[in-house]
Amino acid sequence: MTQTHRSPFLRGLAASLPIALGYAPIAFSFGIAATHIGLSLAQTAGLSLIVYSGAAQFMALAIIAAGASLPVAVLTLVLINLRHLIYGPTLMRAARPKAPLKIAWLWSFSLTDEVFAAALAAFSRGGVRFSESYMIGLGIGAYSSWVGGTVLGGLAGAGALDDFPALAAGLGFMLTALFLALLLAILSPRQIPVIAVAGVVTVVLMLTATTAVGIVGGMIAGALMGVLLPGEAVRPRDAEGADAV
Amino acid sequence: MRSDHVLWLTLAVGAVTWAFRYLPLRVNLTRMRTDGALARFLAATGPAAIATLFVAAILSDVQGGVTPHSSFAGLSLPLPLVAGALATAGLWFVRHSVVMATLGGALAYGLVFALVA
Repeated sequence: MTQTHRSPFLRGLAASLPIALGYAPIAFSFGIAATHIGLSLAQTAGLSLIVYSGAAQFMALAIIAAGASLPVAVLTLVLINLRHLIYGPTLMRAARPKAPLKIAWLWSFSLTDEVFAAALAAFSRGGVRFSESYMIGLGIGAYSSWVGGTVLGGLAGAGALDDFPALAAGLGFMLTALFLALLLAILSPRQIPVIAVAGVVTVVLMLTATTAVGIVGGMIAGALMGVLLPGEAVRPRDAEGADAV
Repeated sequence: MRSDHVLWLTLAVGAVTWAFRYLPLRVNLTRMRTDGALARFLAATGPAAIATLFVAAILSDVQGGVTPHSSFAGLSLPLPLVAGALATAGLWFVRHSVVMATLGGALAYGLVFALVA
């Protein structure tokens, strides 16, 4: 990639555009789904503003709709986001040695799967020099799209489509379609065992116990299957998708 | 879930998620092996979660809502669901775009819903 005279912040902002375009419809579907299960617009927007993690947010909707208790819900969502622990170290390996981290507390907030994957690719192969300004720009673009899409979806799902049942039905299906598309996107020989185990355990537990037990149990079973698989845990392509994303 | 519980859930998970993203940068985990068991477990939680969420969503759509100890009685395959799933998968294999597959699947579902509802 040719170095330009643009500031690192603007380069990061420009790099966030593909992510922002991808986030917008998914965040919109999240907003609709959240209001459909009874969350207010403020609660819906709050999840995107404060949690800012697609997989955890969608899981939160499923857990809340299933009637799980607060401790179970928190534990489940914390578990699903454990993978973020390895993103920072992996990114800094690709960055220049002794890179300054004066405002890492700020830009690390936006370190979603897609932002991590884009930054890793830029620093590893894209000829981009690591800077915190670049990370700020990359994060702001993606975050704005996610929050904005959520708010719009929340407004649309709050009754604005009552006179358009087919449109409401289609938008209601968007969540299932998203999960199917993400599943196909991450499908690889390495992920098949993880997906298969998670899916089977989820079905069994949902039919014999409760939805909440099925979701949590399936996720843990699939993650444990991942431990048995050899090789590198994180590659840019593997990281994309879980945050919806 | 009560309204105040949703707030606590949001704040707790938001704080922990930020900590997961920030703290490893401060304690210099660059030597952590990316092929170790812990790293493999952490990396697998994302795909496992997506699989779980998809199964939960599709099972709920098929059965019209899952209840504890439910059986297969009354199982049906509504046409909009089949059309939406086929459109999603087909668009993915043709365009390899999550966004297009999602939007196309939702469009197909809505169109068939309008025809049969």
